[in-house]
Amino acid sequence: MVRKLDTTAIGGCNPEAAICARGVTRDFTAGQQTITVLHGIDVDIRAGELTYLVGESGSGKTTLISIMCGILWPTEGEVKVFGTDIYALGDTELVEFRLQNIGFIFQQYNLIPSIDAASNAAVPLIAQGMDRHEARERAVAMLEKLNIGNQAHKLPSQLSGGQQQRVAIARALVHEPRLVVCDEPTAALDAASGRRVMDLLREVAVAEDRACIIVTHDNRIFDLADRILVLEDGRITHDGSEMPEGH
Amino acid sequence: MIWIAIRMLTGDAQKFYGLVFGIAFSTLLITQQLTIFVNLIERGASGVYNVSNADVWVMDPVSRTTDVAYAMPSTALDKVRSVEGVEWAVPHIRAQAAVRTSTGDLEGVAVIGVDDATLIGLPKRMLEGAPDVLDQPDSVIIDDVGTTRMFPDESPIGKRLELNDQRAVIRGVADAIPSFTSTVVLYTKYSQALRYVPGTRNRLSFVLVGAEHGVSADELAKRITDQTGLRARTRDEFAQDGVDFIIQNTGIPFNFGITVMLGFIVGIAIVGLTFSLFIRDNIKQFGALKAIGVTNAKIRRMVASQAALVGLVGYGLGIVGTVLFIWGFAGNPTFKGFYVPWQIPLVSLVAVFLILALTGWLALRNVLKTEPASVFR
Amino acid sequence: MALEWKNLSFSRQILPVIALVGLIAAVIFIFTGLPDRALTEPDREPPRAPDAMAETARVAGSGVVEPSSEVIQIGSALSGLVTGLFVEPGQRVGEGEALFTVDDRAARAALREAQASITEARASIAEARNAQAIAARQLALYRNVDDPAAVSRAEVIRAEGETSSASERLKLAQARLQAAEARANSARTEIGRLTVRAPIAGEILAVNIRKGEYVSTMGGGGSQPFIEMGQTQPLHVRIDIDEEQAPRVALGEPATVSPRGAAERQVKATFVRAEPLVVPKRSLTNSAAERVDVRVLQVIYALPKADGLFRVGQQVDAYIPANSAAGGEAE
Repeated sequence: MVRKLDTTAIGGCNPEAAICARGVTRDFTAGQQTITVLHGIDVDIRAGELTYLVGESGSGKTTLISIMCGILWPTEGEVKVFGTDIYALGDTELVEFRLQNIGFIFQQYNLIPSIDAASNAAVPLIAQGMDRHEARERAVAMLEKLNIGNQAHKLPSQLSGGQQQRVAIARALVHEPRLVVCDEPTAALDAASGRRVMDLLREVAVAEDRACIIVTHDNRIFDLADRILVLEDGRITHDGSEMPEGH
Repeated sequence: MIWIAIRMLTGDAQKFYGLVFGIAFSTLLITQQLTIFVNLIERGASGVYNVSNADVWVMDPVSRTTDVAYAMPSTALDKVRSVEGVEWAVPHIRAQAAVRTSTGDLEGVAVIGVDDATLIGLPKRMLEGAPDVLDQPDSVIIDDVGTTRMFPDESPIGKRLELNDQRAVIRGVADAIPSFTSTVVLYTKYSQALRYVPGTRNRLSFVLVGAEHGVSADELAKRITDQTGLRARTRDEFAQDGVDFIIQNTGIPFNFGITVMLGFIVGIAIVGLTFSLFIRDNIKQFGALKAIGVTNAKIRRMVASQAALVGLVGYGLGIVGTVLFIWGFAGNPTFKGFYVPWQIPLVSLVAVFLILALTGWLALRNVLKTEPASVFR
Repeated sequence: MALEWKNLSFSRQILPVIALVGLIAAVIFIFTGLPDRALTEPDREPPRAPDAMAETARVAGSGVVEPSSEVIQIGSALSGLVTGLFVEPGQRVGEGEALFTVDDRAARAALREAQASITEARASIAEARNAQAIAARQLALYRNVDDPAAVSRAEVIRAEGETSSASERLKLAQARLQAAEARANSARTEIGRLTVRAPIAGEILAVNIRKGEYVSTMGGGGSQPFIEMGQTQPLHVRIDIDEEQAPRVALGEPATVSPRGAAERQVKATFVRAEPLVVPKRSLTNSAAERVDVRVLQVIYALPKADGLFRVGQQVDAYIPANSAAGGEAE
């Protein structure tokens, strides 16, 4: 992907920012009513940091993260991911952009039940068009990095929840994306496991030129963040390395 | 990605076999019923196809099929012979008669009188005896279905029958496709047939015509009609007439049409439901794939490949089932001469394609509608 | 890959292969099982139009072979028992040759009776002549006596009467002779009529009487003719042509004729005549009860010599060229 920096389009965008969102507004229409979920959000996400996006249910954090990773169109505003104005891309180009640049870890993992762990982890590479066997080899290497290399031939249903989580992480990282988006990674885990996962994420996902956004409201892991963004009623009310008082 | 799609499909054995069963069942029902239907109505043309020599059949203008024929005066033969492009023309008589068997039973038979000199009008193959047994006095040749009807457990050769107070001795068995009504058929010489069938003024049912080399049957039939005022049909046209007669005069097409339609509907119902359930079960995975970066075109290809696998296996098994059915019943006289016209598997292939395309499209609509953003909810 | 080969999946690999193999087998079954509806040439040669006429206008007809004299059904003028039969079927006879004789004993008896009468008549003639001569001499004797007293007038008259009576007796006897001769002739004629002779030179086609059978002038039993004969050199063939086709026939052109059952042996027959009378079609299909409401023009052709190919009564198929004008009309 050729990195194009078009600073004229978005005022005040830091060229070094991994994600630069400006004036992002999102309305949802429900019958006659129009509900505005995001109210002109301006935010930069920096590479090399573990950024938390925190908020109550309905605060708009899911909508914001969807818009920032290119799977939901904003009503207004612009988003640049590594300098690319993603919503100026065509549909197919946007999908291709996601495939090349973004790794996803879903809350429910969404692993394909009928293929084994290694193949699941290899999905992004296969989707990129890589030969299946080569993709699997790289996926197995990634699984080994996540200490579940010996489970590579097991089906998701034969794995524990934590192991499935690791497979999902492997899938998010196997194609070395520059942005990793992680939705509630610890929601289904006990405190200790949650911390282990977060440690792991920090170890494998955070890199020099990679941004990592974690959407969560799990206060047990707030202390592991580099930066915490708090979203309330569609507005960013806090931006800092610690959680504000009262949360 | 197609590999993944196939894995997704076969990973859910229950639904996979449900889909395969649905397609196989539809294919079997459609193919088998259409096959029986086509063979059954083609029985209306068996009289024409049993005669392998004639290019054109000439008959009275009101005659419709081999069995519904109005006799002509015997000079019709010479009129036909006078037409340019007629290489040869021979008389042919078809009539109904009642036969008294040696055990005293009465059986309705069709008496077919073939040309005395050339024996044109006999079926191509004989099971027992040679065509020239007709040269012996009072000889008749019975068809194989007639054999099973009249002489179930014994050889018919040498058996005596009584036809219109005349003696008839069976001296051969012909290998013929039975007629729609599976009537017993007795072949004999034209002159002999006139004696076996109670007399009316005109007796000549058909004139069988061979076309001169280089003259097409169509052209010749037209020429004969123009020149003699008789109705001349090419072999294929006349076969079609026989088929049309059955279509018009029986409820067969309607009944089989219903069954084929049912096969199609059942196929759509089973496959549609199962496919929709399968897609719904995997909607999250599809959503995840879409979020990760799989285009709609690739998703379509994935679903298409799943449909293709189901189609291939289901269609294959269905066709094999039909073939086994036809093959298994080949020895039964009811199914004698039944074959699978090559068009029918293509028809069921189209039906399978339609079923899969329709249900696949319905199922895909859900996937394509899925917002990738839904994976975060 | 190796791993996958070891764990062959039934649904992913074996089943599709089974389906494919089954499909291929089915395709083979279907294409080998298609019904054989190919047209074939007839095993035995059917009557075909001659090559020369294949592409031109023509009229086809069927007919029967007959002698050039047509069939002569020999009858008998007198009835009686057959006492002599001199011919058999197939025999060639000359004109006037005796065919059979009917019992002639009665006729011969009559002849002998007549001959006796002739003898008797002749004797009477002789006797009458004698008496006449005696009477004439006596009369002359009396006439030569000049003395009227010597012979009485009555004597002379008596002598004259005897003379004329003797000539009358002679005339009577002569008449009787003629009558007897006439009777003899009539008996001879009858004897001649009892021998039936061939009216023309020809071939005996059928003999339906045997020695000792009774023939009557009304014809034989079952209305069969006693003997059928005809001139079979050359043979003629009588072709029936549907009246609708009749105007198209090119009269005078030779016809191509082949016998039933030997259609490949075609001969050229020369035109003889067309019958002036259009007659109802005589059925050639062997069914006695059959009548057909079409009329036919009968055209006669002479067959060339062909050893044993044609026989009288045989059915033939014929092709005759059509008038080019009429043919053109029909196009």
